[in-house]
Amino acid sequence: MSGDIRFYGAFKDELGLKTIPSRRIAKDTYEIFIGPQHPGSGHMRIIIKVDGDVIVEAEPDIGYVHRTMEKLGEIRGWIKPIPLFERMAIHDACNITLPYVRAVEKLMGVEAPERAKYLRVLLCEINRIAAHLYGFAIFGIFLGHSTMYMWAMGDREVWIELAQELTGARLTHSYPVPGGVRRDIHDEYPDMVRRAIRYMRKRLEDYRKLFLDNPVIKSRLEGVGVISKKQVVELGIVGPNARGSGVAYDVRLADPYEVYDQLDFEIPVFEEGDALARTYVRVEEIKQSMNILEQVVDWLEKHKGEPIIHESVSSKYGPVHKKVLQEQRRAKLLPLHATMKVPAGRAIGRGETARGEVIYYVESDGGLNPYRVRIVTPSARNAIAFKYALPGHKVMDLPAIYGSLDYFPPESDR
Amino acid sequence: MAPKPAVKTLPRRGSLIDGVKGNLQALIVGLKYFLDPKRFTLVYPKEYSKLPKGYRGFIILNKQKCISCAACARICPSAAMKMIRIPVKDPKTGKTRMKQYPVINYQRCIFCGYCVDVCPTEALYHVPYHDVVYENLSEMFWDLETFQKEPEYKTAKEGSPVKFLIHEEYGLIKVPAEEGG
Amino acid sequence: MVLDVVEAILGFPPVWQVLVVGFGFSLLVSVVAVWFERKTAARVQRRLGPYWASPRLGGLLHLVADMLRYAFQQVIIPRGVDMTPFLVAPIVGMVISILPVAVVPFTSNPQYWPLPPGAMEYSLLIALAITTLPPIFIVAAGWASNNKFAVIGGLREAFIITAYELIAILGFLAVAAAVGSFNLAVIAEAQNPVKWFMLLNPLAFLAVIIAVAMSTSAFPFEIPESESEVVAGPFTEYSGLLYALNMGGAYMRRFIYGILIALTFMGGWAPYNPGEGIFAGYIVPSLIVTVKALIIVLAISFLRAVYGRYRLDQALDIAWRLTLPLALLGLALGIIQAFIGLA
Repeated sequence: MSGDIRFYGAFKDELGLKTIPSRRIAKDTYEIFIGPQHPGSGHMRIIIKVDGDVIVEAEPDIGYVHRTMEKLGEIRGWIKPIPLFERMAIHDACNITLPYVRAVEKLMGVEAPERAKYLRVLLCEINRIAAHLYGFAIFGIFLGHSTMYMWAMGDREVWIELAQELTGARLTHSYPVPGGVRRDIHDEYPDMVRRAIRYMRKRLEDYRKLFLDNPVIKSRLEGVGVISKKQVVELGIVGPNARGSGVAYDVRLADPYEVYDQLDFEIPVFEEGDALARTYVRVEEIKQSMNILEQVVDWLEKHKGEPIIHESVSSKYGPVHKKVLQEQRRAKLLPLHATMKVPAGRAIGRGETARGEVIYYVESDGGLNPYRVRIVTPSARNAIAFKYALPGHKVMDLPAIYGSLDYFPPESDR
Repeated sequence: MAPKPAVKTLPRRGSLIDGVKGNLQALIVGLKYFLDPKRFTLVYPKEYSKLPKGYRGFIILNKQKCISCAACARICPSAAMKMIRIPVKDPKTGKTRMKQYPVINYQRCIFCGYCVDVCPTEALYHVPYHDVVYENLSEMFWDLETFQKEPEYKTAKEGSPVKFLIHEEYGLIKVPAEEGG
Repeated sequence: MVLDVVEAILGFPPVWQVLVVGFGFSLLVSVVAVWFERKTAARVQRRLGPYWASPRLGGLLHLVADMLRYAFQQVIIPRGVDMTPFLVAPIVGMVISILPVAVVPFTSNPQYWPLPPGAMEYSLLIALAITTLPPIFIVAAGWASNNKFAVIGGLREAFIITAYELIAILGFLAVAAAVGSFNLAVIAEAQNPVKWFMLLNPLAFLAVIIAVAMSTSAFPFEIPESESEVVAGPFTEYSGLLYALNMGGAYMRRFIYGILIALTFMGGWAPYNPGEGIFAGYIVPSLIVTVKALIIVLAISFLRAVYGRYRLDQALDIAWRLTLPLALLGLALGIIQAFIGLA
């Protein structure tokens, strides 16, 4: 390091990517508060200090949409927190609630039937695709690419339509319940999924031509916001952001839940660690999710009529319940679900949401309410990346890095 | 049959020729959609989307089936549903006694459908629409009478119903649906 | 007496050309251009775009409604601003952006030239000189706003000026060199009927188009107003009519550049030959030029649907490393063309 040239946040020498040199931090840096009421910030504030046009210091200031999820989870029984926790990542509803349901199931000592597990995976992957498309949309508009915004939001509608057909609600599905799922698919559903997959594969080709291979977008993303493998491990960054930096960590791989260990799919990993790599991880994940969906609907077609809710529930079904399950394919809840008691104990639920690993620590004292629900969401773990990825970049790189991290403030603030 | 990690390589920015090619490619795709947009916009007041049968819309009470078990009020995550006590005349004995019935506050309801799923007699059911307009907030408190009749689907009167089907080429396509909410 | 003076002022060709063509047409064109931009973007994005204000016109009146809204909206002036430049900058900036029309000939008939033939000899230079002025007022507006985002936006504008100005001028001069005259009428006449410089000198044409896109902050160079970091750039603190003037100014400048491009690169009134009389000698050729300018404006508007925005340093990089050599090559090509007498 010679003279006045210094490197800020430059960690990426070994892979030969260009680092951005800057002058020594001057005393007269310019402090800019971006957010929380700002078109390019989301519900958070990023305090940046700029020296000329170069960010020398960045501070993510989280907490703007804090809603006391953990505390509220302690006062409303065991089944009612499910619709509540969905509100953390509303477009990724099944993924974010499934680990909680699984933790409660562990405490109760029940396990969902095979078909329910496949149905959960079905909705999880639909959610994952929709959430990635949502991320793309926001990313597109951050880079000024309004067409990407509209396209991704429009194509997300296809997946939302599928989720609505399955669960009856577009976003807040409240689909998994302890012991199983609430609804089964109808006979035309697998074909709907297959059509949607074929459509999306065609569209991804158009996305590539218009957005990913667009020289403007490529030059905005390449070598920007590099987070090294070492840094990812040290900071505990999860999800596509970790996989974009060469860390092959995915809960579906490390600790397969539901039926992920019976499905054949790849976990895409890129070594570069820049914004482009993180973007490509998402593209590849959409492709892999579609592979999973194909396998899942094939399985579901072969195994019609299997139970979708655990015996402990279905054995208590009366004639009305059975009729509804037969005719409408709805697994009704029992009145005891409202005042459920869960044996005392502690359980951890892990799951891979679209943004990374979510962890629920659920403790029960044997009562009507959880004693403690601790939630660690992927965005909460990724927020720290701003502090290390932003310095050394231009102010105009801020939206590119923000969008590529796919940070979602309501999920982080809980 | 198990997930496996796969390290992939990133397409890199190439020479000037690649740049020109990328620009042309993007412009051609843009022009393609300019000529044939493949829209599936719902032109809202002219058309409205007829939602499928299982849609979790407004919740309506069938009073005849209600057995006053209060399971719906107990499971409601947002405390939108409450039980009220009203005097009911017993047809056999002719005596008046107090019976419980649910009422709902649609300011709070989050349409999770737990109450419908928990109802042991299927007395509660969803209607497949949710865009009902209220002139003031107090109208959103439904008393027992309102709770029993399906709300008027006013937007339906202005347009024609369509439903969306998933299509390989267009993503979603609109097809006309039958009348009715 | 007073009427005579008024008539003399309004009858002075540069004045009514600025008022009618400059202000009237450019207002109309900016409405159409904004409408087209929104409609094109909507089509590419599989949406409807503006529609409900007038379904039969495809929502064209939506923009009129927008303009009316801006006109009657409350103008909020924050306490911290430097009042005089804050108010003066958008107004003067817009007036200056349409001023180049004052020297532009819309016909080969010298009777209807805005300037006497002697002064017309320098019309291209005068027009180009005036087009370089408005950005100063954008920078001033940003500085006067006393807002961090506005200051950054203004600085970006200042950076961009340095990049595109030279390119635009060199690109236009390539044509002047080929023809051997700065007279726009002579330049346009030299291309009649189909010897357009767009085809003869595509390098300079491309350079000028890129420079115009940069100058009027069109995509992919919409950097000073980049919404996702600096809100609305230099115009962050503006509201109501002043904001509309600022935003409309960009479209008007694009239209004025379009007129210059139409005259220098697209043959002006070609293939039409202006005749005698006000109709054949002025109105028809000026309409042809306007339509050609409109095509340029709409083509630049289409880019919004395809591109995101470049980073500031990348835009400067493209300007200095790619487009400036292009413009210089164009100039060289123009000189060669003049040498072999092609044009």
